[in-house]
Amino acid sequence: MDVVGELVYPVAGLLGLYVFVSLTSLVWEGIDRKLVARMQRRIGPPILQPIYDFLKLASKETIIPNTANFMFRAAPVLALATAIALLAYTPMGFAPILASKGDVIVFIYLLTLIGFFKILGAISSGNPYAKIGAAREAAIMVSREPAMMLAVFAIMWRLGKLGVPKPFSMEIFYTHNIWEIGTPMSFVGALILLYVFCVWLASEIEVGFFNIPDAEEEIAEGLLVEYSGRYLALLKLTHSLKAFISASLVVAIFFPWGISGYFNLTGLPAQVVDLLFHTLKVFALLFVVQSVFRAVTGRLKITQAVDFLWKNVFLASLIGSLLIAMEVIM
Amino acid sequence: MMVLPYLIIIPLLGAFSMPIVSLAGRKAREAWAVLISGATLAVGSWVFYHVYENGTILYTLGAKSPLGQGVNFPIRIVWEVDLFGALMVLMVTLVSFMAVLYSIGYMRHDTGLDKYYALIITLELGMLGIAITGDLFNFYVFLEIMSIASYALVAFRNDTWEGIEAGIKYMFVGSLASSFVLLGIALLYGQYGTLTMGYLALKLSESLTITAKVALALFIAGLLFKSGASPVHMWLADAHPAAPSSISAMLSGLVIKIGGLYALARIAFSIYGASVSVKTVGWLIIIFACITLIVGNAMAVIQTDMKRLLAYSSVGQVGYILLGLGIGLAAYGSQTGEVALAGAIYHTFNHALMKALLFLIAGAVIHQLGTRNLNELSGLAKTMPKTTFAFLIGAAAIVGMPPLNGFASKWLIYESSALFNPVLAAIAVIGTAFCTAAYVRVLYTFFGKPSEKVMEAKDPEASMLWPMIILTIAIIVMGLFPWQISDKVMIPAAKALENQLSYIATLMGGG
Repeated sequence: MDVVGELVYPVAGLLGLYVFVSLTSLVWEGIDRKLVARMQRRIGPPILQPIYDFLKLASKETIIPNTANFMFRAAPVLALATAIALLAYTPMGFAPILASKGDVIVFIYLLTLIGFFKILGAISSGNPYAKIGAAREAAIMVSREPAMMLAVFAIMWRLGKLGVPKPFSMEIFYTHNIWEIGTPMSFVGALILLYVFCVWLASEIEVGFFNIPDAEEEIAEGLLVEYSGRYLALLKLTHSLKAFISASLVVAIFFPWGISGYFNLTGLPAQVVDLLFHTLKVFALLFVVQSVFRAVTGRLKITQAVDFLWKNVFLASLIGSLLIAMEVIM
Repeated sequence: MMVLPYLIIIPLLGAFSMPIVSLAGRKAREAWAVLISGATLAVGSWVFYHVYENGTILYTLGAKSPLGQGVNFPIRIVWEVDLFGALMVLMVTLVSFMAVLYSIGYMRHDTGLDKYYALIITLELGMLGIAITGDLFNFYVFLEIMSIASYALVAFRNDTWEGIEAGIKYMFVGSLASSFVLLGIALLYGQYGTLTMGYLALKLSESLTITAKVALALFIAGLLFKSGASPVHMWLADAHPAAPSSISAMLSGLVIKIGGLYALARIAFSIYGASVSVKTVGWLIIIFACITLIVGNAMAVIQTDMKRLLAYSSVGQVGYILLGLGIGLAAYGSQTGEVALAGAIYHTFNHALMKALLFLIAGAVIHQLGTRNLNELSGLAKTMPKTTFAFLIGAAAIVGMPPLNGFASKWLIYESSALFNPVLAAIAVIGTAFCTAAYVRVLYTFFGKPSEKVMEAKDPEASMLWPMIILTIAIIVMGLFPWQISDKVMIPAAKALENQLSYIATLMGGG
């Protein structure tokens, strides 16, 4: 076995990505807070504020409630570990480090698992507020994922028809993209799915309408009510990573173009340039979905959110997928 | 040296000597039971290894060759162990050993334990006999040994109303099912004049009479009863909760699989494989599989009794195995059919480990708290962390989460059913959704705020904890090498089951 090629490079790549994405996603959160503050005619915190927050939380005393069990402490670590593992399957301007046949299922699974660990940690605290938050998170989770799954599988299946070596792999987005199918129907379908993915992204990172499980004002921080110190720092970092990763998926599906080709770059420099450009696109997407959406809308009730995700978003996903699949089926 | 007979000799010796050994006291009785089941596990592992390395074992009782002198057909009882049978042997001996080990702590407060240990070893004996036999009547005898031992064990705590109630229900239904099987055997014997499975298969392929078809219908009906398939699963939902937990683990992990699914697969493939229309039989089983999947998993969601929930979940999982088996029959000879069959065999093995683990955990909880009501078990993770962790692993495995063993086996079944007929795959996924809901609900309770009742509990003693730890480790380790296990063991086992010709040839060639 080629140890360097199969073990050392992927691990080094994953570590590099982890460091880069952690910093970038925290910086983005600072930018986001600054932008929202400006939209509301405030000055807002400095851009590096989330990093200061992280360091401060990490250095503070951690309080464990006496009703908590072992999962309360394990869950933040597991959630972060899952997020880091997920980086290896995330398209970041180039094909994921561990791209293989069918890795989209691993991606969806790990992304959902982060939420599951958050829920498990919250109910393990024994706090009723956390329990309510967990129930809401679970309700949102089962409502938002089907729309995304349907859409992503439809797109991958359609692109797979164009001929690729590894079907249902994230790699596919960098060889074919959804716009090059070219028929009017697929174009409309792609636009509808773009809408679906934007709403999904908003509900995944819980902003705007969907800021429900953590709702600070109503249920006292919900899921995170009992977390403090190091564990809260880990959960906040996980949340930022997850935002970046989810946005990366949407960017990879709809805006996969790289710029390294224009500069005739190859190898590592090309990947670095593509990664930076990808980050820029992620920021642009998050600006629309996170900052603007958060600034201009309030939260829905949990029942309204579930209704919205099933009756509006899932339906849109169904129509979009059918339109995309149409000329292959017929 | 031929070790195969020791698979029967050792448990038989253990069971029959138990009353005498019991005179020497409690310690001696427990040590003897552990020793016997441990030795059986050693023999079982050896048999599995031997079959894996050298192929099918044929063993004739009383002579070198199964064929009579001067005649060219088998006249003696034969045992024929192919890879599928050997896998079942390994599964039975492993889980039985865990259950016996667990009983030391779990059954401490019960009386009449000399009978308990004799029965539990007899139960193991019956299941091993079913797995290795190549003779139809021998199969019936072992089936009855297994069934009667399990009736007695379900009703073992005869000072509780539910033990007696479940025992009676199980006994009535089970005897009826056994008599179906016996009637089927009688019909076949009357028609073809032989009871050896391999030779009967040969006879059947020459002429398939209406009697043989009636016999097949009786077999399927009887064995679906035994495997707890819907709509005849009602005995199971009562028997599993009422039995002592070590017995529930064996009932759910082993009895319904060996006495029901294994026997069904053996009869469908090895006896009727070449003669009857496999497509019809396959679809018949698929229909029952779909009903079982939905009913079992959906009923699991609404239970408040922990063991009843696990029992219904067993029904649901039997649905997956039946689905794999049915597709294996309906798509006989194709790649899809083989994958489905491998998935069914793989899931049989995995589910034995997972469900044994979950029932042992339920037993530990009952032992500590004296209640099975899920509503009273809130916050168990606080005071029984190891038990809860094992439950987390078991539940995740049964739902089919990737780093654990349940994933690969369910994946094979999903994949093959999607290729065979997408509607079946959709039904399988709906079943899994229900299953997930049921287990997430339990986890939600276990990790919640500790109730007052839970506060005095603590993790069980070593003899109960170790079987749980070993099974947890087995689940995790098997989960790390899913495709290696599938390619090296499960696919060859499925091929061995499908290959009826070699089954017959091994018999007629004399070994």
